Amino acid sequence: MSRFSRTLIALLVAGAATSAAAWERYPGIGREATPAEVQAWDIDVRPDFAGLPRGRGSVDDGLALWETHCASCHGVFGESNEVFTPLVGGTTQKDIETGRVEALVTGAFPQRTTLMKVATVSTLFDYIQRAMPWTAPKSLKPDEVYAILAYLLNLAELVPADFELSDANIHAVQASMPNRNGMSTDHAMWPGASQAKGGIGNGGMPDVSNVACMTDCKKDVVIASALPAYAQDAHGNLAEQNRAVGQTRGKPTGAPAEAAAQPAVGAAATLALAKAKGCMACHGVANKLIGPGYNEIAQKYQGQADAEGRLVARLKAGGQGVWGAVPMPPQAHLKDEELAQLVKWILEGAKAQ
Amino acid sequence: MASPMRIRAAAKDGVTEVRVLMSHVMETGQRKDSSGAVIPAHFITELTAKHNDRLVLAAEFGPSVSTNPYLAFKFAGGAKGDKLVVSWVDNKGDSRSDEVQIA
Repeated sequence: MSRFSRTLIALLVAGAATSAAAWERYPGIGREATPAEVQAWDIDVRPDFAGLPRGRGSVDDGLALWETHCASCHGVFGESNEVFTPLVGGTTQKDIETGRVEALVTGAFPQRTTLMKVATVSTLFDYIQRAMPWTAPKSLKPDEVYAILAYLLNLAELVPADFELSDANIHAVQASMPNRNGMSTDHAMWPGASQAKGGIGNGGMPDVSNVACMTDCKKDVVIASALPAYAQDAHGNLAEQNRAVGQTRGKPTGAPAEAAAQPAVGAAATLALAKAKGCMACHGVANKLIGPGYNEIAQKYQGQADAEGRLVARLKAGGQGVWGAVPMPPQAHLKDEELAQLVKWILEGAKAQ
Repeated sequence: MASPMRIRAAAKDGVTEVRVLMSHVMETGQRKDSSGAVIPAHFITELTAKHNDRLVLAAEFGPSVSTNPYLAFKFAGGAKGDKLVVSWVDNKGDSRSDEVQIA
């Protein structure tokens, strides 16, 4: 681990120097980040555990938190295969001894679970703290992250059921991570000097050689084949069928949606609210993504006088089964009036304007 | 001896929801190893769940059930603190029984 810390400290020093210079180089643009802002952003936990907050959490505490925050997507035992691949499984006692997951080599397990792949326990802590729960990231306190991680490690059979994970003993857990020796740094993805010179990568040698063409080069790119015009909308508007987060967006195809006849007051604000609160990560306005589209919901509850109250309660508490097996996590981070506003907007057709 | 089952049982409104994750190879007897020899069948054949001493679930498992089976079911009755015992027997005569308190 010492090779990590040395390089990272060198990078940090270099980074601090260049950012100060960049700030002074462009007068009138932006302002210097305050120490409090930097502290708020600086939440990463590194492989050498730099940045790890103090705290502690037991497996039992973690189980209660898991069932509240995590189980709706990941399953009570981290086994769920519904939304994401399972978190645990595929590792053996032998892997824990060798530090290399054999199933990754032999293909003995049909999937690659998180615990099969991850090399450093600090990454699990960092990720849970940074990105989970999906609907309310960064909402967990350090003690809660420790407890949830302790439960996850117990599911992976790395720690016993009466274990309490803390900043003092997390180093020891690293020594039993099943894939701790499975990470290679001998490629250009890693910064700094080569391993021979005390760095962690290969000194920036690229894995492929992409030589710029200098003579007899093609002048224009000619697209050899494309979907014919009559087939462009064969599957509807592709842009609407992809989530607004992640890498895949989808090309706008098909006829443009007809403008709403009667602009509803405040509808645009509600759409912005739905985007801001993460609703659009799983729901589309006019199509099903992970959860049902708002058009489907509006259609299902059309003409039901008590639908509004029932849906508000369902959003708040979460639910499962009405639209399939994938559960809707509880939306406790939304205020009651926000929930009511969203439900009213959905039932009125989820208009953009 | 197989690893313990993970069992969670929660009572709500007079219905108890039980989730069980078993640890078992569930070998079908159809697969061959790298040298071509048939891997002998090894799978759970019977599973029972008892609430206190009342039988609430009896199931026959077979080779089509996956490795490390996950089972979820609900039964009427059950209260916080009651005892729930899940047991299985496999075709080699091995067995496993685990007990939890309903939460």
